[in-house]
Amino acid sequence: MKFQFDSVQQMLEMAGHGQYVWTAVLVTLLMMAWLLVRPLQVHRAHLKTIAQQLRREQRRRITQEDNQ
Amino acid sequence: MASNRDWTWFYRLGSPRWFYETTGRWLPWLWALTLVLLVAGLVWGLGYAPQDAKQGNSFRIIYLHVPVSFLALAGYYLMAIAGAIGLIWKMKLSYMVMKSAAPIGAVLTFLALFTGAVWGKPTWGTYWVWDARITSMLILLFLYLGVLALQYAFHSQEAGNKASAILALVGTVNIPIIYKSVDWWYTLHQPATIKLTSAPSMHIDMFQPLLVMIVALYSFYALALILFIRAEILQRERKAAWVCDLALRADQGSAGEDKE
Repeated sequence: MKFQFDSVQQMLEMAGHGQYVWTAVLVTLLMMAWLLVRPLQVHRAHLKTIAQQLRREQRRRITQEDNQ
Repeated sequence: MASNRDWTWFYRLGSPRWFYETTGRWLPWLWALTLVLLVAGLVWGLGYAPQDAKQGNSFRIIYLHVPVSFLALAGYYLMAIAGAIGLIWKMKLSYMVMKSAAPIGAVLTFLALFTGAVWGKPTWGTYWVWDARITSMLILLFLYLGVLALQYAFHSQEAGNKASAILALVGTVNIPIIYKSVDWWYTLHQPATIKLTSAPSMHIDMFQPLLVMIVALYSFYALALILFIRAEILQRERKAAWVCDLALRADQGSAGEDKE
């Protein structure tokens, strides 16, 4: 098995096909990364919202008890 | 008595909490496996695989195009089966699987079309043709988007789930059409390079990295699906005690970090 290109320049150009190959690679990797990052963001946001909601309810309960 | 016990695994599988906790233990391994396979497959395919005699270097796009197309199709089966299980057994978790599979499938189908177009330009001289394979893949993209849209089209989650599942099931008609399109209508897209029943029609040095990339995409798909499902579980089970516990603990953890 041998590396097919002699230099970075050659690998980027890929004998005229570089623009196609690297466009495909870049777009694919970016969109795949989005598929992993997005659910993690949503996951964290859900946890935060749920915690805030619980605290708000807790506070309301405490003030109600104080008023009584 | 015994028969009751035999089915417990089935119900446990349908428990969102069980799924959430089990996959939480798998995640680090799945991340590592996915990243290692992706890097190995890409370096091998882009750098070490020999050039194609006819297509030159543009053929290297195969290392993205074929794996994402594979998973775009396999993901549709998974989504439709999850929808069917939801309809038949009313299992909560299976609807979450169905909903989570839709955005992943849509992105992968888009990528199959996109990498195909970019490959088509230097090979066929055009980005797009209304070839049978390409058109049926475009329909697949609309099916994924349709399932996703139906989830948000109803006020009740229940109705959205049922509508999505029915669309997903009806859409499976398209899958054999996609597979067979290259044989039935010999338009422009070439027939399959890999078949389970015969030797691959490509040189072994080109084939090995492709195999690595296919396995990498399966691993990636499992990872992405699990991440989407876990987020969905938190959303739908937000009233459950264990989710509240989890949220409070995570909240305290991040508050502690802020102070330090």
